[in-house]
Amino acid sequence: MRKLFLLIAVLAACLTGCGKAGQKDTGPRYVVLSPEIAEILAEIGTAGNIVGVTEECTYPPELKSIARIGKFGSVNKESVIALKPDVIFTTALEQDALTEELSKLGLRVEQFYPKSLSELLSTIRRIGEITGFEERANSLADSLSRQIELIREDSIGKTKPRVYIEIYRDPLMSVSDRSFVGELIETAGGDNIFNTLERDYARIDAEDVIAARPDLIICYSQDTLKGILSRKGWQDIPAIRNKRVYFEADLDPDLILRASPRCVLGMLKLQELYAKTVAE
Amino acid sequence: MIKKPGYLLLAALLGAGVISLYLFVGNPNANIIVQIRLPRLILTLYTGMVLAVIGSVYQLMLANPLAEPYILGISSGSAFGAILLGVLGLGLLMPLGGFLGALVTLFLVWSLARKKGSFDRSRLLISGVIAGMFFAAAISLLMYLFQKDTMIILGTLMGNLGHVFTVSEWHGFLALVLVSLLLLVFLYFKSTALDIMSGGDIYAGSVGIDVVRTRKLIFLASSVLIGITVAYAGIIGFVGLIIPHIVRFFLPSGQKRIFLASLFCGAIFLTLCDLVAKNIAVIELPVGVVTAALGCPFFMWLLLRK
Repeated sequence: MRKLFLLIAVLAACLTGCGKAGQKDTGPRYVVLSPEIAEILAEIGTAGNIVGVTEECTYPPELKSIARIGKFGSVNKESVIALKPDVIFTTALEQDALTEELSKLGLRVEQFYPKSLSELLSTIRRIGEITGFEERANSLADSLSRQIELIREDSIGKTKPRVYIEIYRDPLMSVSDRSFVGELIETAGGDNIFNTLERDYARIDAEDVIAARPDLIICYSQDTLKGILSRKGWQDIPAIRNKRVYFEADLDPDLILRASPRCVLGMLKLQELYAKTVAE
Repeated sequence: MIKKPGYLLLAALLGAGVISLYLFVGNPNANIIVQIRLPRLILTLYTGMVLAVIGSVYQLMLANPLAEPYILGISSGSAFGAILLGVLGLGLLMPLGGFLGALVTLFLVWSLARKKGSFDRSRLLISGVIAGMFFAAAISLLMYLFQKDTMIILGTLMGNLGHVFTVSEWHGFLALVLVSLLLLVFLYFKSTALDIMSGGDIYAGSVGIDVVRTRKLIFLASSVLIGITVAYAGIIGFVGLIIPHIVRFFLPSGQKRIFLASLFCGAIFLTLCDLVAKNIAVIELPVGVVTAALGCPFFMWLLLRK
């Protein structure tokens, strides 16, 4: 029952939070290069000030009508400047160099790369300060924080299913507990099988997956159910024996791979999958 | 040189040692040994032997000490085919893409190298190099366009012996290995002809060797072999270039013996490298990095000693 309330609360927040796009004549102009930040901005009601986004910024749907200035990893700098932005929101990794270049041109660039739930909350508050929407941002952060706490409490005392998430198949890659998605898997009450990897996302050995005997597999590596069930040597894995393998269609990757307010929905969905797994 | 039987015994012991370490290190259970390590060992031995053997054949056939299995462009074409399907979201079909890429490159190089019935070695070399450059540029373009799939691309370009086989795919691979062994036997029996051809096409022709035909057949057989290795293991540098040279330190002439020694050394060397790649660090290193890191110092030592 509590879950249902949570779900309604999150949905309501999503619906009311989305400002109206297209009102770009007044107020500051934002260019957003990261889909995560775009979701946060829309959530606190500033979507109307966004004048440019990258192709990956697909949520909420109202962003689709906004000018595209390239892809996540190859942004067209001239288009960014032509939009005369007051603030440019970027992320780390592929956008590190770009962030520096744009700053050198004297533009205001704000870089955010939340790597954990607590960093997500502080990012939301900081974005509130930058945009002048502190109140909305703080209340969003507070409500997310409460929801995360409820989810955490909900998982206490329950059996923890062992979870393997596959990002790539050739070469095999998975995530560590220290990655954002790793934290979501654990917070929702699962046990990510790779708690210590050298990096957040790293190459792994098939042997280690088999030895860890995951109860549930989340497969984002373009493989199919038939393909994964017939992998040589994987037959003894409980998740394979019980066909507990989930794909993009079962759990939207954006809900758990993006550090956005929707991660709460992702964790609720994870708990649903865990409950099915443990019930067996 | 050391006495021959002792030398062979030492090599056999070394090989057996590396293989048993590879299979049993870390105390795995029977399922992992049979279903995961054994297939990986077979892929590794196969890749190592093919690369080293073709390196030795190409160095002789193209009369160029810098020749290596990837010099005739087949590998770049194959890697391009595999990567293209990978970034387009068809990860399962990457080996198929590798075969198709190799096949397209084979026909391209073939038709560029053939001119009025001739198939001479410098023309073949230049055709191969230019085709390889073209596909390397195409791979760079894919890398730029699909930045988020960098891991798939690097996995192919830096070698990945941890290919995840499905049961049916494994049977297909074993069939390919059997065909490959036949092709290797064929190449072995061309050794004498290659030795003679290294004295010049005219000389070889005068002793009754159909030089153009021999070269074409070797090119076809070796291209198929390289296509298969790249499709399953990606591009692994160094083995095909340096192993034949190391072998020639001990066996200066006689392509038949060099062929067999390269086959053995390539297989064991790559297995050793993969063993190191898997176990030296917490994360698995790309095997293509380890081959050069291990092999270069050894080669330098040999150069200084001899």
